[in-house]
Amino acid sequence: MTIGLEAFLGLSAVLFALGLYGAVSKRSAVMVLMSLELMAVAISLNMVAFSRFVTPEKMTGQFFAIFSMVVSAAEIGLGLALVVAIYRRARSIELPSLERLKG
Amino acid sequence: MAESVDALPFVVFASAAIGGAIGMLISRNVVYAAFWLLWVMLSVGGLYLLLAAEFLALMQVMVYAGAVSVLMLFVIMLTLRRREDAVRPLDFSPLAAMLAAAFLGIMYFGITRSDIPTAQMPAQAPDTADLGVILFTIEGGWALPFEIASVLLLVAMVAAVWWSKEHKKR
Amino acid sequence: MSYVTAIPLLPAAAFLLLLPLSRKARNSAIWVAVVAIAMAFVLSVMAFAAVWPGGADLAKEPAYHASFPIAVVGDSTIDIGVMLDPFSAAMLVVVTLVALCVQLYSIGYMHRDGRIGWYYAVLSLFTAAMLALVLADNFLMLYLAWEIMGLCSYLLIGYWHEQEAPRRASIKAFLTTRVGDVGFAIGLFLMYVTVGSFEFDAVLGSAADWAPGVATAVALLLLFGAMGKSAQVPLHVWLPDAMAGPTPASALIHAATMVAAGVYLIVRAMPIFEASGIALHVVLGVGLVTALVGALLAAVQHDIKKVLAYSTISQLGYMFIALGAGSAVAGMYHLITHAFFKSLLFLGAGVIIHAYHTQDMRQMGGLARFLPVTTATFAVGSLALAGIFPFSGFWSKDEIVLVLVKDGYYIAAAIALLAAFMTAFYVARLWFRVFTGPRQTEGLHEAHRSMLAPMVLLALITAGIGFGGPALGDFFGYKIPWPDPAIAGVSSGVAVAGLLLGWWAYGRRSVVLNTRTLKMRAGFIYGMLSQKLYFDLAYEYLAIRPFVKAASGLAAFDLARVDKIVTGAGSAWSRIAGISELFDRHVVDGGVNGMARGAWVLGRKARSIQSGRIQSYQRFALASLILLLMLVVMKG
Repeated sequence: MTIGLEAFLGLSAVLFALGLYGAVSKRSAVMVLMSLELMAVAISLNMVAFSRFVTPEKMTGQFFAIFSMVVSAAEIGLGLALVVAIYRRARSIELPSLERLKG
Repeated sequence: MAESVDALPFVVFASAAIGGAIGMLISRNVVYAAFWLLWVMLSVGGLYLLLAAEFLALMQVMVYAGAVSVLMLFVIMLTLRRREDAVRPLDFSPLAAMLAAAFLGIMYFGITRSDIPTAQMPAQAPDTADLGVILFTIEGGWALPFEIASVLLLVAMVAAVWWSKEHKKR
Repeated sequence: MSYVTAIPLLPAAAFLLLLPLSRKARNSAIWVAVVAIAMAFVLSVMAFAAVWPGGADLAKEPAYHASFPIAVVGDSTIDIGVMLDPFSAAMLVVVTLVALCVQLYSIGYMHRDGRIGWYYAVLSLFTAAMLALVLADNFLMLYLAWEIMGLCSYLLIGYWHEQEAPRRASIKAFLTTRVGDVGFAIGLFLMYVTVGSFEFDAVLGSAADWAPGVATAVALLLLFGAMGKSAQVPLHVWLPDAMAGPTPASALIHAATMVAAGVYLIVRAMPIFEASGIALHVVLGVGLVTALVGALLAAVQHDIKKVLAYSTISQLGYMFIALGAGSAVAGMYHLITHAFFKSLLFLGAGVIIHAYHTQDMRQMGGLARFLPVTTATFAVGSLALAGIFPFSGFWSKDEIVLVLVKDGYYIAAAIALLAAFMTAFYVARLWFRVFTGPRQTEGLHEAHRSMLAPMVLLALITAGIGFGGPALGDFFGYKIPWPDPAIAGVSSGVAVAGLLLGWWAYGRRSVVLNTRTLKMRAGFIYGMLSQKLYFDLAYEYLAIRPFVKAASGLAAFDLARVDKIVTGAGSAWSRIAGISELFDRHVVDGGVNGMARGAWVLGRKARSIQSGRIQSYQRFALASLILLLMLVVMKG
């Protein structure tokens, strides 16, 4: 069996779906962030696979992945700082108990 | 590097990644979940190697596995009151499962119906030296985004520091 | 001679001038009324002088006649008019003179009353009406003036309306005379139907040609009215109660003028009565009964004014006797003399009441020493009433007896003499009771000059007028001869006998016929008399009570049924309104409220999206995204 582009695409789709499930269903803020990371990684994999199979000399997918990594790192840093700050205030990082936005 | 991706390494890495993801999701212990994430990151790094993206694989391991996961663990520790709190019930949401399934369905449709070159893989792939040239030079075209990315990281860092500071109550 | 028209207008003008004033202004303007009546008196004397020496021809053809149309009905006109002939001329003088005396006397008698202005106003209106009645040239005008006098009588009897007795008395007077007036009105209708006019000349001229039945009917109906106004039995019951009014008003109205109006009516309508022979007999009978009953009841009264009231009833009966015997002139003669001496007696009674502050004779006595002028004038009036020579009453009463005897009414004459005996008796009773005997009160004093002057004047007239009898007769056109010695002797003897009995019973040291003795000796008769022969009681039980019962029954019916219908309609309507209200509440308000509720519920449901639950937001966003993706994928 040759592993072609579809295999990589399917894999990234599955990873993304799993991350999606985690982001929507988890109650802990940290868990949600972890799921978000998963999704980002899946996307990067997707891009790199496309880049390798279609136009390898341009390496566009890789660059996407690099910058995605940068942004994810920044996002994680800020997100976790936010979680810490929220934890200090609310003594909890359970999302259901952080319903301050209730309208 | 190679004309096609070998099946065996792919299957190994792929199952490892999926297994790790599932493990993260069904794990009851938040700390364990973080480690499962670490595992997934390492697996994806391996997949990058299969795709002839060595620099990227390295970056993946260093940033995600090294920094991000560690940071996760830091925060988990910081937000735990007692050791027992790490264990939490499994949050299962049917709605989320449905949504994820719907997404997979759409993706399936998208992948199978589109015009994608299959098995064919160009033989030659550029290596890390080429990536360096493209990334760091203006002729390569990615120097400016690179600089901007560094500024972004700076800003994020400052913000994170400020946010996590203890604010004295007046 | 058109000033004759002004005679009734003068006091009428006084009334109209006084009417719109405030109480204080009116009270200080009473001189207007006095001036008016004085002027009317002067004009009346002038008119009388113009008509003198009169004569039979003038009785047929008036000295002055003027009429003014006031209404047109179909093709006939209604006039009011003024007619001056001997009868009206004589009445003018009598009425204005007595009215003037009464008004002068009232200045003193009523001077502390707070509503004296209104008193004088009504007196003026009354006098105007009486003068209009006397001058009337048609029966309708006579009737109108008659009614106005009835109103004034009501107002004056009920003058002190703060007390209950005057109120009831005034209504009693009005209603009783009203009963008579109904008969009068029907008689007028019949008259108009028969003749087509109310004018004296038309009616009286044709009366002889009427069918006897018609003449009798009209005559009896007119008589019925006269009986009410002149207090003949059985419509006499109001006059004693009318004494609740001010004494000078009683003097004017219930002695001299208004009660004489009935007599005057019959005098004027004599041709009708003569056309129906029966009517005259009825008049005679009525007069006899009244004269006797009045005299009997006067003898048992304790209230001085009631004695005079019953005396008036009795004397009016005498006038009716005269008329019933066919002699209008005799009736007029007695009317004139009675007017003077009876008003004199009433004014004197006013002085006595003022002195004693009571009207009960049993509390009086020994007045002669303190009120000499009053005593003298009252004596003159009393003797005149008793019919003693030379006072006026002797002449006129004698004339009546003469007429009766001459026309063969011997039984009537006997009854008349009996009544004369009773008259003398009660007169003596009154005089001795009041003026002689032991004094029972302190502080008696004579009346003021302004009150005594009219009394003296009236006394003088009473003393002298009798001698002018024949002249008066010629004036009227009939013969009034000097009294026949036989008749005169009998009547005088009867009168003296009455006086002696009165003196024996009441004039000596101790009163012989006081109430206790009377009750013992003549218990039954006394009981009947003291109950006024049960007239009032009979009316009360036979007429008044059933009527009041019927009225209250109807009132209750009205309340229960009629008002129920009205209230029922009202509640039905409100029930309809209630349904409408329900509709309004449930449907209209319900709709509005429902919409508001719907919006609120919708809002609540919508608000639940904004739950603040982060994961909810996530899910929504994701779901929308996936939906969009589906669309994109399906399309392409």
